[in-house]
Amino acid sequence: MTSATDHLLSLPPYGVAAEIKAAALLAAVGEQIAHHYEHCPLYARWLRRQGFDPRHPIPGLADVPWLPVSIFKRLFLSSVPDSQVVRVLTSSGTSAQVPSRLPLDQTTRSRQMKALAAILSHRLGGRRRPFLVLDVPPDKSADADRELSARVAGMRGYLMAATEQEYALRRDGDRLLLDREKVVATVRRWSAEQKPFCLLGYTYLLYEYVVHPLRAEGIRIELPPSTFVVHFGGWKKLRQQAVTKPVLTDHTGEVFGLPTGSIVDVYGFTEQLGVIYPDDAQGVKRTPTYAEVLVRDPRTLEIAPDGAVGLLEFVSPLSHSYPGVAVLLDDVGRIVTRDPGSDGCQGTGFEVVGRAQRAETRGCGDTLPKEIYENAGAGR
Amino acid sequence: MKFYLLFDREGPRIGLADGHETAPVLDRLEPLVARLRDSQQQMRALAFDDLVGLCDAAARSWTQPGHPLGDFIRRNHLGFLPLWMRRANLQTLALRSLRGRPEALDRFVPLGEKETMMVRAQPRGLVVHWVAGNVPVLGLLSLVQSMLCKNANVVKVSRRRPGVLPHLLAALSEATCVSARGATLSGRVLTDAMAVVYADRHDEAAARELSRLADVRVAWGGREAVEAIVNLPRRYGTEDIVFGPKVSFAIVGAERLADDDTARRTAAVIAADACAFDQQGCNSPHTVFVERGGPIAPAEFARLLGEAMEAESRRAPLEEVDLADAMNVLGVRTEYAMRGEAHHSRGIQWAVVYADEDSGLAEPCYLRTLFVRPVNDVFEVAAFCSSQTQTAGLAVDDRRHALADALTARGVERCPAVGAMRIYDAPWDGLFPMDRLVRWVSG
Repeated sequence: MTSATDHLLSLPPYGVAAEIKAAALLAAVGEQIAHHYEHCPLYARWLRRQGFDPRHPIPGLADVPWLPVSIFKRLFLSSVPDSQVVRVLTSSGTSAQVPSRLPLDQTTRSRQMKALAAILSHRLGGRRRPFLVLDVPPDKSADADRELSARVAGMRGYLMAATEQEYALRRDGDRLLLDREKVVATVRRWSAEQKPFCLLGYTYLLYEYVVHPLRAEGIRIELPPSTFVVHFGGWKKLRQQAVTKPVLTDHTGEVFGLPTGSIVDVYGFTEQLGVIYPDDAQGVKRTPTYAEVLVRDPRTLEIAPDGAVGLLEFVSPLSHSYPGVAVLLDDVGRIVTRDPGSDGCQGTGFEVVGRAQRAETRGCGDTLPKEIYENAGAGR
Repeated sequence: MKFYLLFDREGPRIGLADGHETAPVLDRLEPLVARLRDSQQQMRALAFDDLVGLCDAAARSWTQPGHPLGDFIRRNHLGFLPLWMRRANLQTLALRSLRGRPEALDRFVPLGEKETMMVRAQPRGLVVHWVAGNVPVLGLLSLVQSMLCKNANVVKVSRRRPGVLPHLLAALSEATCVSARGATLSGRVLTDAMAVVYADRHDEAAARELSRLADVRVAWGGREAVEAIVNLPRRYGTEDIVFGPKVSFAIVGAERLADDDTARRTAAVIAADACAFDQQGCNSPHTVFVERGGPIAPAEFARLLGEAMEAESRRAPLEEVDLADAMNVLGVRTEYAMRGEAHHSRGIQWAVVYADEDSGLAEPCYLRTLFVRPVNDVFEVAAFCSSQTQTAGLAVDDRRHALADALTARGVERCPAVGAMRIYDAPWDGLFPMDRLVRWVSG
């Protein structure tokens, strides 16, 4: 018998009417919650305390019990035996924060790959393409370079959709530099072979090492109109430089001679890897069939009305090896539309506004050095 | 160098909810300071009792039905403020702080009953207060004490909620009382010697100017902020009073867990301490150590404390929710629901968490979150104390002074009863503030 989750993954990513999607998604979510209830004791205890019984049907996606994203930093939650864990995924280790730790089994990996391939294929066209990766090639030094290894891990899923890969940056001591000759030669080669290709990389690398230096020198590298520039990884570093999404899109289009619809900002997060949220041709991020977005009022935690800014929650049943079914993020955003796009794409349109950050340092009740606190926690 | 003038003898220059941008800009402070020093002389001519009388009159009026400040006080959980400013409290503060001789603020008096030495407490001059953004009313506490010591005052507020202090000072300026000599006094005599300014925290020239002009520097704030202030150049002889970051906790002895009623009463006063200042003050409890061995176990006390927090939050709901703090609290709540006990509001209002295996001081996560931690003996808590722990609210009976001795020997500054943690009294952070706000002279 096909599971509800497998059935969900057999559906097209943006071609399912809202009510049909909701029913299929809810069935898959209920199936996965029952699995985690049975196999993850901490999760089961948490559900029971809320009076949640997985044998009873869930009225709607807003009723799915959600976990705050930081729980994956605080506790190691697993729903499969250790022997089935093929890899423990960690969220970005670039900051001083404790990373999330997520066990992956083959089932979860397969689902993630299937969802990712379906979404990318829809957005970039059905054929796999060569990818020009806007980073340095991974090598042994990546093991020592925590930031690079985190970047490589974050990109791995995308590269599954690549027919071949070239890398656009090179190292010069501690610095990264755009390898212009290689970029030009690669673009020329793929163009000559009439292979539609894709530039792929982290948003801040795209700006800092590619678009900004090229534009500052007045250099344009004309790319074929079939090319997509796909970037992801968040805007924190660029916001600090006052580089907004329209600015990056305009400048990228200018440098590469591409329309704005070919420059695709992708949103996603480690705790629900596999489901990504690329801009559609109108620049709107839409939920695919495999996930739904909800916005919660940060004070009441109730569902906020469409258009209101609040904490983003994502519901997706892909994770089999850890209970990441419904996750409340510290990203802030709002729902912008529930109508299909002009291209007929279904899915809730949403916008990410920013991240919940502490407004100001505190006063005399400020936090002190961590050494004075002693937290004895069994799950840490 | 750019100062935004938020309050002076002309009254408040911005509205309660305004940002500093709407206020007039000064590129020099000296003319303002000269005016403050002139007004200080008028204040100096008044008796300490008259100054206290004005504060008392203001405090009484604020609690009158229909007073416009009443609603502000309720919404900002400042109920303690009108009590703190009443005559009896201020006189006690002065008595304790000024060697039992508060009248030395007015004239030369014998140092003690059997002393021949005559002493007087002269104002130090200009006191500059740097106030933390999270609890702007803290500025008023040092400001009132400084004013009672007849100093001129400049308060530098933070970017966040700059209108609060001007709003309170405007209300103080409207107070009137009749002096011992029968004259009608106006609160203006107090507030004319005060100014509130804002300067950007990156404006180093402004910070240096404030420091240069100060005879006393009072710094309230987080570690980074107070370090920046004390590292500013100052004139030789300038006094520093630093109220830096500290953490506080409560201790409940088994004797207070003898029955449900006693435990509930204890929980209620701890909840009130935790909710005051929305748990942002250095005197706000975050960890509650509960002694094992009483009829009510620590886990059960956590549940009762949750009920008390719910009641307290219904009475005075949490107003501001910082998103990053909210996410942190949600993580804590969920973690404890999985591996311990978590009692909390449906939304973000309060939380009490417990796990049998936890020990030590919990790292605060604010938003009215209390970590209940079991101890076998209340004296074990002394091991967790240091110079960075400030207030230990005690709910113990016969062992109180022995416990206070053990805790303060390790660095704790105050050991009031639970329920009085939130009261700003003296000594505070190891000193009597008014004593540091005067120059003791003999004659």
